[in-house]
Amino acid sequence: MTSIILLSIFGIINLFVGFMKSKRILLPLSLLFLAVVFGANLFSWNEAQSYFNHMLTIDNYAVAFTGIMVLATLLLLPFSQHYIEEANENLAEFYSLLLFSLVGAIMMVSYENMLMLFIGIEILSIAMYVLAGSDKRRLRSNEAALKYFLMGAFFTGVLLFGIVLIYGATGSFYLTDIAATAAVNDGTVNAMFTLGLLLLVIGISFKISAAPFHFWAPDVYEGTPTLFTSYMSTVVKIAGVAAFYKLMAAAFAASYAAWFPTLIAITVLTLVVGNIGAVVQTNFKRMLAYSSVSHAGYLLMALVAFNERSDASILFYSLSYALATIVAFAVLQYVSEQRNGDETYAAFNGLGKTNPLLAFAMTVAMCSLSGIPLTAGFFGKLFVFTAVVQDARLMWLVVVAVLMAAVGIYYYFKVVIAMYMQPAADAAKIRIGSFASFMLIFITVFTILLGIAPALVSDLL
Amino acid sequence: MQEIVMPRMNQDMALLCLLIPLLPFIGFLLNGLGNRKFSKGLVGFIGCSTVLVSFLISIYLFLDFKANGSQAYTVDYYNWISAGSLRIGFSFLIDQLTLLMLLMVTGIGFLIHLYSAGYMSHDEGIGKFFSFLNLFMFSMLLLVMGSNYVMMFVGWEGVGLCSYLLIGFWNKNTNYNNAAKKAFIMNRIGDLGFLLGIFLIFITFGSVSYPQVFAEASKLTGLDTPVMIGITMFLFIGAMGKSAQIPLFTWLPDAMAGPTPVSALIHAATMVTAGIYMVIRSNVLFILAPTTLEVIAIIGAATALLAATIGLVQNDIKKVLAYSTVSQLGYMFLALGVMAFSSSMFHVLMHAFFKALLFLGAGSVIHAMSNEQDMRRMGGLRKALPVTFITFLIGTLAISGIPPFAGFFSKDELLAHVFEHNKILWGVGVLASFMTAFYMFRALFLTFFGKFRGPEEQKHHLHESPAVMTVPLIVLAILSTIGGFLGIPEVFGAEHVLGDYLAPLYTYARSINPAAFETGAVSHELEFILMAVSVGVAVLAIIIAYFMYIKKEEVPAEENARLAPVHNLLYQKYYIDELYNSLIVRPVMWLSNAVHRLVDVIVVDGIVNGVGRMVILSGRTLRYAQSGAIGFYLLVMVCSIALILFLNFFIG
Repeated sequence: MTSIILLSIFGIINLFVGFMKSKRILLPLSLLFLAVVFGANLFSWNEAQSYFNHMLTIDNYAVAFTGIMVLATLLLLPFSQHYIEEANENLAEFYSLLLFSLVGAIMMVSYENMLMLFIGIEILSIAMYVLAGSDKRRLRSNEAALKYFLMGAFFTGVLLFGIVLIYGATGSFYLTDIAATAAVNDGTVNAMFTLGLLLLVIGISFKISAAPFHFWAPDVYEGTPTLFTSYMSTVVKIAGVAAFYKLMAAAFAASYAAWFPTLIAITVLTLVVGNIGAVVQTNFKRMLAYSSVSHAGYLLMALVAFNERSDASILFYSLSYALATIVAFAVLQYVSEQRNGDETYAAFNGLGKTNPLLAFAMTVAMCSLSGIPLTAGFFGKLFVFTAVVQDARLMWLVVVAVLMAAVGIYYYFKVVIAMYMQPAADAAKIRIGSFASFMLIFITVFTILLGIAPALVSDLL
Repeated sequence: MQEIVMPRMNQDMALLCLLIPLLPFIGFLLNGLGNRKFSKGLVGFIGCSTVLVSFLISIYLFLDFKANGSQAYTVDYYNWISAGSLRIGFSFLIDQLTLLMLLMVTGIGFLIHLYSAGYMSHDEGIGKFFSFLNLFMFSMLLLVMGSNYVMMFVGWEGVGLCSYLLIGFWNKNTNYNNAAKKAFIMNRIGDLGFLLGIFLIFITFGSVSYPQVFAEASKLTGLDTPVMIGITMFLFIGAMGKSAQIPLFTWLPDAMAGPTPVSALIHAATMVTAGIYMVIRSNVLFILAPTTLEVIAIIGAATALLAATIGLVQNDIKKVLAYSTVSQLGYMFLALGVMAFSSSMFHVLMHAFFKALLFLGAGSVIHAMSNEQDMRRMGGLRKALPVTFITFLIGTLAISGIPPFAGFFSKDELLAHVFEHNKILWGVGVLASFMTAFYMFRALFLTFFGKFRGPEEQKHHLHESPAVMTVPLIVLAILSTIGGFLGIPEVFGAEHVLGDYLAPLYTYARSINPAAFETGAVSHELEFILMAVSVGVAVLAIIIAYFMYIKKEEVPAEENARLAPVHNLLYQKYYIDELYNSLIVRPVMWLSNAVHRLVDVIVVDGIVNGVGRMVILSGRTLRYAQSGAIGFYLLVMVCSIALILFLNFFIG
């Protein structure tokens, strides 16, 4: 709860600081705010408490996911330097929107009442609609914002409809009440209940860009300014999956049979569409969009497993995925900016020679995303897969996932090949600030550390 | 293995223990990353100082261990791997054996690092050299400190990698690269055995951590059960590879392609004794399998003899030392085979002293001779290299088993145990010891006595090595002289310091097979006779060598001269390399070529390329769907919703 209050206050302070002439203070200030929130959040560890008539509960689950989301924001913010350099006049608003949207994300991992879930999703989404269109002069950015908003609004309707139908069937918005009603009725209260449940699944699937509700993702990701794409594919996705798991575990565990077939179909489709779709991309950013679809698939696998290992494996996977994704987008941002806005693989040609650090960080990130050992991503996948094979009947799902992971190596390594094996057409060194370099090294080391000692995080939940 | 009563764990201790391997690792990182920018002096300083500090910490640990009642303890850091019922901690086991190995590895390691700073000072790649050497120290320390088989295996692989990198250090030479590959591949064969052994241990005992495995094993009844023979044989195969025993010994002589300090550190003093360390560490398991022990004793004796015979006729000074290393390792395994674990460890220590000394001495000679290693081109070097000569002489006396030098006590004790166990193996051991004395003095006489046989202009270049190289020689010479007093035989009325120190290691083993640890089965008279025999044969060998190479000034024949058949057979190392080549290497090459052409190119590539094409094709199809038109997207998504609802309500 302290983190929600602090983030709201800090967001407002940020807006006022924005009136000052110099924008240089904004980044350090925002980082400081986030660090404070990160620290304050940890105080709630093992101190579960409920607020607002039990509509919100800050338990260890909430603290862990809040920690990861705040950390991800903290790690990706330093790569916003170019906004400062060009003295963007809306910088304060961007930072404030990020802080406000984090409030929504935190609500999504700590709700006990479906209204809070809805409010959380909306706080997060509306901020994202604005940020997607924040590059006002670029047509693609405007297009992304409008597409995101139109489709987002549509699925918000679907989600709300689902919530209302559940309310109609059970008479409550509280997860515990819904679970209690479902439990005495064999998990399936009536057709209205089932319909509401399915619409909920569909609505959240859209938010985490699971197929076949992923169509917005490639277009929106590509058009959105890279910094916010990075935020979208990490924080927004993590919040969505965490909310999804919490919803299923707390309210619909008894109704397993009603949602399981749909979810497993969505999972397999997401894995296939995400990975196959990424193969043919020539634009690196668009590839990352598809890759984020595929990672939604791996995260959904942990949800499909639905056992005592699910939450810990979602947590670890989220962290490993966020670390690697932040690096990928950060390097992309530097490279494309200084190579005439080129976002294709070719922009990375010869990066291994000109910028060994950037190339190395990117290589580690790609290894982590494809799940190669000694990186966090390996254990992320391992934990998810072991969670799934607890149920021997789901072995086929792991086989599909492993095959798709093999496909993943193909497109992730395209950029590694470009960096190390293609001669650079434009051999100019990419300029990058020392703080940003430091952050890249930090994230890379963290990724490798988790690949050696996964127990640092995996035993938290 | 004694029972671990109380895991002692305080923060200072945990940090100190961690620092021992960590410091060389930091040295590796610094030198590895900065070797192009650092000066040669700085590189040497980083390389040596990290190992020196590790050595000092090891001494502190050793003293502290004693002060706290010599109670073995583990230091747990974190849960390294957990999967199912498998729990592997990153933790160290500190007991008598670990401490001895620590002192030996870091102490001798430091001396050799110091020596290398002088030896490699003219080499361009000195930064790379020191970073590899430090990485080796890190791996070796993990190997001896780890508290479970998996950590030992990690260290085991690490030292194998470093050995590979350092044998092929001068990688512009194809022969050297081939030697490196040979060492690596032969070791892999052993490693496979080791790995299978670890799997079998986990299946049998449900754990890989020493305290648990040995406690479980001590509860077993019945010797020679198939599973125990299996475990110990697999472990021994691992030891065979690393410690160069028949049939996996041919890589070690070739490994002499590396810089001489590497031969001294890795291929004589430390890494090759890892196999012995492993057997002593697992003594509980081996005690349960007398059959395996029998095999170990026979292979050890055979290796000792075979390598000694080859050593008789070699002309390369490092090759002679290499075969003597193989032969001495054979002795150590012979001792293990007769359950004289402490004697084996004693010999490991003494061998580390005098063999490191001999290699470094040889290095000093090679340094003075501008990289000439052929003893036929040497001679009369004692005047030009006085310090090297004296120290080399001490090393030679020590390895030949002349009292009171280090090798006498350890070899004598070892052979006494063998005699007690099996008279034939004892005879083989004495024969090998005779040959050892002969070829070592042959090398000494050819190198340091007689007339200089090299080119005239080289004679003026001969110079004693700088102090940074001679100081380690002197220190090692002192150790080779007095080291043996750690284990004075009971006959002389003294206490066996080392034997008593190591005794707690065998608590479990003793309870399983008390007979193996009974001492005093050999009467004192007999012990004196045995001693006299081994000293006698050594002196005889020295006299023969003296007559051949000093009186008659014999010089070994040149490369293309015709040799007597037996001589030729020995000179060609029994054609074992050729045998392996035609029996194993060529058939495997032929098979892999065939498999490559049939399976790889046609089947695998066909499937892979086919699947790849299919994936790309379906990806293209998907791309058509991603048209960018929002109306179309919504249509598809709404249809999907409808389909989901339809399937759920009307089909399921």
